[in-house]
Amino acid sequence: MSLKLEGICKSFSLPGQRVHALSNVSLSADPEEFITVIGSNGAGKSTLLDIVAGVRHPDKGRVQIAGRDVTSRPAHRRARWVGRVFQDPLQGTVPDLTVEENLALACKKGRRGLRFALGRRRRHLWADALSRLDMSLERRAQELSGHLSGGERQALTVLMATMARPEILLLDEHTAALDPANADRVLRITQDLVGEGGMTTLMVTHRMDQALCLGSRLIMLHAGEILLEVAGEAKSSLQVTDLVRLFHRRGVSDDALLLEATEKTRG
Amino acid sequence: MALLVHALEQGFLYGLMALGVYISFRVLRFPDLSVDGTFPLGASLAASLIVSGWSPFAASIAAAGAGAVACAFTGTLSSRFRVQGLLAGVLTMIMLYSLNLRIMGRPNLPLLGRPSAVSATANWLPIPSGWAVLAAAGLAAVAAKLLLDLFFRTELGLTLRAAGGNPRLVQAYGADPKNMVVLGLAVSNGLVALSGALVAQYSGFADVNMGVGTIVAGLAAVIVGEMILRPRSVAWATGAALLGSCLYRGAILVALRYGGALGFTPSDLKLLTALVVLAALVAPVVRGKLKREEA
Repeated sequence: MSLKLEGICKSFSLPGQRVHALSNVSLSADPEEFITVIGSNGAGKSTLLDIVAGVRHPDKGRVQIAGRDVTSRPAHRRARWVGRVFQDPLQGTVPDLTVEENLALACKKGRRGLRFALGRRRRHLWADALSRLDMSLERRAQELSGHLSGGERQALTVLMATMARPEILLLDEHTAALDPANADRVLRITQDLVGEGGMTTLMVTHRMDQALCLGSRLIMLHAGEILLEVAGEAKSSLQVTDLVRLFHRRGVSDDALLLEATEKTRG
Repeated sequence: MALLVHALEQGFLYGLMALGVYISFRVLRFPDLSVDGTFPLGASLAASLIVSGWSPFAASIAAAGAGAVACAFTGTLSSRFRVQGLLAGVLTMIMLYSLNLRIMGRPNLPLLGRPSAVSATANWLPIPSGWAVLAAAGLAAVAAKLLLDLFFRTELGLTLRAAGGNPRLVQAYGADPKNMVVLGLAVSNGLVALSGALVAQYSGFADVNMGVGTIVAGLAAVIVGEMILRPRSVAWATGAALLGSCLYRGAILVALRYGGALGFTPSDLKLLTALVVLAALVAPVVRGKLKREEA
């Protein structure tokens, strides 16, 4: 078992109310499994990823990664096993470091020493990895990453997040801020790198078509609970219209997500 | 000519402090006011140790160490106990004021006739006497700059630079950004205290009030240097801090010598310095507004 969440509860207090972001969520993922996660705003998707990454800690429940209980470990002490790509391309790179310096930051996930971060051998490896993104970034390795476009930056972020071969890769709507062409490109790069690295992947997306065509399992979160879980053949035969019908039956009707999906099926 | 030499001597010695301010303000983006306390901490500790018979070199190193420890305190306050950065710096600064008086036992400690790391190095260098002090000061500043440049190219240094720009990312890649703040402030204030120690030996005394306005002077140096060199890499940025420091000290010496004719007194210096920093901070905003109006 690569990832195991047991009875995760997490609530936040907002002025005047208590919001249950996750109530009693359990989930296990096998090595190399690719799980897509959908749900409306406030369904708990990001909280779920935050809890796996260790940025937030559950009020109740346990988190296991690669057989270790990491529930109480802070994010930097489980970074070795977790890679993450955010929606905002600005968050995944350091703008005032060069492309290769960003890569140097990403390929070391434990203690940092006084060794030089950039060596000839490493540069060679990175140039190789960059060239496979097919964005000519290998020729811009010494440019500040702040000068890259959103798509280029997000591709670089995916490379960084997968470079150290983490056990788990978290993708948080990582193509949502990109234009369609770049979104497709970054998605293709993600699939390639995930396939090579053999990581367990949790991908949050707001696009039902994406959630259906990618991965081997689909999870629908609603109001902090897993509302629906489809895997294997049941998932591959599922259509967007089926999904919409399923949600309706479960009483999710006033949902922006459904609206969007319905529009897509009409278009 | 003598004025220029003095400006450069002071520019380099205070330049160590400017390097420290560059680290906290630019690299970490942490508004660290404790330098107003660590600069005189370095001066008073080094002076007391020299008076009690220590070698001036050992005393300077001890001063740098004390500065590093003092500001690891600021960093810990702010990152572990969530005291606001500005407040943490001010608290450290005020504590150091009392501590500096304790260290020296009085507000001012003269060092005339005592051995000095600056003049000892100057005598050792094979350089004519008029230039030797400048060479010694330059050696210290450039050595510190080069070491710093090297450090920022190591894995640890790179992580430190990243922590200023994107702490969340640093955490995602397995380093604790809080530790990076503490480490960065320690390096920064080690340099500031070393600068204080050397300035005290150079000018022949340590004074408990010599730290007032250190942060503004350091910022002035960093900003002036940046305006001239427009650095795009760390090595250029540290060079710019040293250049800015020399220009700033030069401007002060000129103001002190010729300012009287215009009705300025030395006590107006801090006002003028703050105005320079203010102008540099406000200029880009004003320029941006003008541009928008044109468009």
